[in-house]
Amino acid sequence: MTAPEILALLAIGLTAGAFAGLLGIGGGVLMVPAMVLITGFDQHVAQGTSLLVIIPAAAVGSFTHHRHGRLTLRDAAALAIGGVLGALLGSMTALSLDEELLRRLFAILLLLIAARMLMTRSPKAEPAEPARPAA
Amino acid sequence: MRDMVSTPDRPNALILAAIGLAAGGLSGLFGVGGGIIMVPAMVLLAGMAQQRASATSLASIIPIAAVGAVIFGQADSVNLPAAGVLMVGSIVGVQVGARLMTRIGDDRLRIGFAIFMIAIALTMLVS
Repeated sequence: MTAPEILALLAIGLTAGAFAGLLGIGGGVLMVPAMVLITGFDQHVAQGTSLLVIIPAAAVGSFTHHRHGRLTLRDAAALAIGGVLGALLGSMTALSLDEELLRRLFAILLLLIAARMLMTRSPKAEPAEPARPAA
Repeated sequence: MRDMVSTPDRPNALILAAIGLAAGGLSGLFGVGGGIIMVPAMVLLAGMAQQRASATSLASIIPIAAVGAVIFGQADSVNLPAAGVLMVGSIVGVQVGARLMTRIGDDRLRIGFAIFMIAIALTMLVS
């Protein structure tokens, strides 16, 4: 990695982390396009790298929730059983796709998320429940 | 099948597994966490409270993202040094974001950001 590349990645991580906290959306949605458009990563590499970065963030977040008693391990386990199977199928599908097609599909995902963000109006006062990054 | 009933306190495990399957698929396909569909689905389909849904979603993202990372890693599609640098940046970023949250009007930020995301999506479509 070159020095400008390291600086760019630091900035991407910082920005993605900050906006994830602010908007309650996951960092991956921001990191993947940034890695593709700014550091010029292949779509597949950007996605694989994003998955790895998400793990410690989710671990720290869920540990905090667990300490506050908001987490039921039974529910997380049920989600994870389906989730692991889905992740296997999804990642194998992604790897079988052409990189340009995958990039276009990702762009469509971004458009859908943006549309949803535009349509949901959050109630002004929500002090009891600050947005948490969904990772 | 007493267990088919989903209550806020004890959401149905089959419903959760089905939500997990969809979220895991999205996560593997696009390299994201999947919380974007898991949290609203848990609230709407399993009747869970928003905050509990977010907490549960985050915990399940750990194994989901790990499986995806391994599969992508085997295909030589993970940049390890880049992941390390991104982790450092995002740890700092999350602290900054949490501090800023109280100061910025939520709606304007979200609309501005949605427009920014549309611009990114269009760039990705034409590039």
